Amino acid sequence: MTTDTKPSEAEATPQPYVDLTDKDSAGTRWVRRIAVTSIVVFIGLPMVTLIVWSFAFRWNFPNMLPTEWGGKAWAYVADDSSRVFEGLWNSTKLAFLVTLMAIIVGLPASRALGQHEFRGKSTIEWLLMMPIIVPALVATMGIHQIFIRLRLTETLFGVALVHLIPAIPYFVLVMASVFANYGTALEETARTLGANKIRVFRYVTFPAISSGLLVASMFTFLISWGQYVTTLLIGGGSFVTLPLVLFPFLSGANHANAAAISLVFVAPAVIVLIMTSRQLGRDSSVMGGFGKI
Amino acid sequence: MTDVSLQQLSRRFGDNVAVRELNLDIASGEMVAFLGPSGCGKTTTLRMITGLLQPSSGDVLFNGKSVVDIPTERRGAVMVFQKHLLFPTMNVAQNVGFGLKMAGVDKKEINRRVTEILELVELPELETRKAHELSGGQQQRVALARALVVKPQVLLLDEPLANLDANLRITMRQLIRDIQSEMGITAIFVTHDQEEAVMLADRVALMFDGVLQQVGEPDAFYQRPRTTRVAQFFRNSNLLPGVKTGTMVETEVGPIELDDHVSADDGPVVLTVRPEEVRIADSSSAATNVVPAVIKSVIYMGTHTQLIADIGGSSWSVQAPATMTSEEGARIEFQLPKKHLWIVEDDSVSAAEEVAAS
Amino acid sequence: MSEPITMQRVKERLKIPLMLGPAVAVIVLLFGGGLLVGLGQSLGYFPAIGLTEFSFDAYRSVLTDPNFLRSLWLTFRIALVATVLSSVLAVGFALVLRQKFGGSRLATFLFQIPIPVPHLVAASGIILLITQSGLIARFGAAAGLMEVPADFPALVFDKAGIAIILTFLWKEVPFVGLVVLAVLQSVGPQYEEQARTLGANARQRFFNVLLPLIMPGIMSTSIIIFAFTFANYEIPLLLGVRFPSTLPVVAFRQYQDPDLGLRPEAMAISIVLAVVAILLLIAYRRLARYAVK
Repeated sequence: MTTDTKPSEAEATPQPYVDLTDKDSAGTRWVRRIAVTSIVVFIGLPMVTLIVWSFAFRWNFPNMLPTEWGGKAWAYVADDSSRVFEGLWNSTKLAFLVTLMAIIVGLPASRALGQHEFRGKSTIEWLLMMPIIVPALVATMGIHQIFIRLRLTETLFGVALVHLIPAIPYFVLVMASVFANYGTALEETARTLGANKIRVFRYVTFPAISSGLLVASMFTFLISWGQYVTTLLIGGGSFVTLPLVLFPFLSGANHANAAAISLVFVAPAVIVLIMTSRQLGRDSSVMGGFGKI
Repeated sequence: MTDVSLQQLSRRFGDNVAVRELNLDIASGEMVAFLGPSGCGKTTTLRMITGLLQPSSGDVLFNGKSVVDIPTERRGAVMVFQKHLLFPTMNVAQNVGFGLKMAGVDKKEINRRVTEILELVELPELETRKAHELSGGQQQRVALARALVVKPQVLLLDEPLANLDANLRITMRQLIRDIQSEMGITAIFVTHDQEEAVMLADRVALMFDGVLQQVGEPDAFYQRPRTTRVAQFFRNSNLLPGVKTGTMVETEVGPIELDDHVSADDGPVVLTVRPEEVRIADSSSAATNVVPAVIKSVIYMGTHTQLIADIGGSSWSVQAPATMTSEEGARIEFQLPKKHLWIVEDDSVSAAEEVAAS
Repeated sequence: MSEPITMQRVKERLKIPLMLGPAVAVIVLLFGGGLLVGLGQSLGYFPAIGLTEFSFDAYRSVLTDPNFLRSLWLTFRIALVATVLSSVLAVGFALVLRQKFGGSRLATFLFQIPIPVPHLVAASGIILLITQSGLIARFGAAAGLMEVPADFPALVFDKAGIAIILTFLWKEVPFVGLVVLAVLQSVGPQYEEQARTLGANARQRFFNVLLPLIMPGIMSTSIIIFAFTFANYEIPLLLGVRFPSTLPVVAFRQYQDPDLGLRPEAMAISIVLAVVAILLLIAYRRLARYAVK
């Protein structure tokens, strides 16, 4: 018999919501054109300006392009006295350390929140969200006092600990959503098939959460990467990261140097985005996590 | 009162043709079922009638006027989806009153009509519940009420019962049938379940691979299937090839006599008899059309016993009384009643392959 | 009847606490500890400089300072405008970007660019664009709309905080947009199609069907953004007028003052900032819940 009477069988024909052969109305196309143009202009213009400025030697008002070009700003960046490379190295070490710590601390917690029901769950959720809801300034200043006693100021570890505070909520938001979306059925199946806990994680859990973990790690990395005031306070000015190197130039007159350092500051971040861009757009549970406070 | 006409309706997705040159006229107040397996283009057809999808070519007419340029929201073709799709942010009354609110009907009137329609679908007193607080059957009834309350020109149902369990499906079928005939709405529904199509529809339109195969009243699909695939879709895979001359067909297992009403050109044909019409021959039965067979399996089905048997190299299924006992390998004779014999056009995949090979 | 205590049961009991423990410990000890020390100092408990008596002096002097209210109002206004505008713009962009059209993938990628860009770099690009001798002013000059930089409106270091708001928008619109996009993806087009066949036009579909569905996501992100912009230090410091400054800037300035006697006031300002933020967010949630009902 060839008849198929399974009641849950759904129509298998692809049904694209907006097919290219369907003509959109003129209004829709205009709205779309305006939106895309504003994305290109508003998002692209500041970045393009930075690139052009970093190669400008002389660029006075009202010229639309530099009247003299040159690599002076980049030479300055490469010079040890600018401390750009020291900042880059410190920022990188720091961001990786914070990401690692966030994974170790945050992964089990995300799993508990995403997949288990227990008493006091919403309290724990709120508690873990506190650092992104309560302005962190007072806590940072308080921690500064504590760290002075513990001799953690001006150390990599001390700064990393403080960066970990805002990193945890973001990490947990994303990963709890990923865990909740993926559920426990697959793992339970693997267990009944005789896989031990380590193998279940290696062959079932990890592949399922890896793209979400990549995005969560990216957010954690970037949170640490962009921190200014916490590093300034806990690092005490002697632990120099890129934002600390950049900051004085932003209110100064040497726009070319500011632009070049800004670009050094943004480059690794953009590489991270290119690596994770597909995940950001594809798995709706990843970004959707931020919509679930 | 609206009649619907589909004319040369086609839809392509890239290179894939989902619906090919479909022609069908649906009378006002009629209930038609689009039936077919997954991916046959029936839902695509429904979406073109609603306007959620534009046809690649062809036309959709309501009361003789083309509606393809009328946007969905002004077409009056209301769809009930497989998933109930009750708006989760609204309660039952708000859901049911949605269409009226959109049309700008005043609040009192909305309330009155919502109450009325909820009684019709046998769901009074649930106005303030949210969708997730209802059972599956209740949700689908609310969805139905929401569609009916706007008095649609055409009611479209996309597998409306597929997510319900067996018992609920039966009561819901009855409810849909009663309300549809009471309100006199033209209704088109899509299903892959041939029983559902047969029970609900005035006429059934069977589709395979985007092409309409056969349109007709339900019993035609059982008694007079056009092709082998149609017969098979209606659970009849009893086929016997032969060569026809007049009312006689010469087969592997001897001559078979046809009734006069079977019309087909002389030459090679394929004969069929539904499993429930095949008789087990005994001394009292007529001597004509008796064919030898070998039992291949015996399956007890509760209300009857199903025999799978080999007749001249073809595998046949026969419904025998529940008390029937037999065993694999036993020889038996079947009688094929003249008035239930029918000739089908052979469009089975294997036949097509043979043609391609030769 | 008590069931026998077995290893298996003990393990089961401890599972959730062990999973949550590390993350909760980091937040409670670091964030909570910092808050507590800060609260103590704001109340005049600062043994390092010999203050051990609790008092409300710091709060009294902060709350009676007319400049405090001006700063609070400025901080609130900037955060509110940035949050409302980001949410509205983000929904608009998300509605466009969820459609499939030629170049939609590229547009979505461009839209994501600000996500990894640090706020300081965003500020850097915005400065080069909108100062009185910035690129936009030069466009104006080239178009014959103005002659000297002074003809261009002062958008940076201005009382309205336009540069600050623009920087926040540049960063946060894509963030909210991606979250809304993720929510839209998980909702799918089906509810709108249903509404459409029931006679709802585009405007009715948006306000009656789509907006209620994405509202929880917008609420979450607007809470994150409001809390962030309300407490941000470096952007207003960099792009704002020196007086009045936003509260975080004032608090941090006081904190870094060589006169340790100003510390309690710095802490009091930060505590008030945190309390106001929490109260506003609670009120917002209540209001939003009420509005949904």
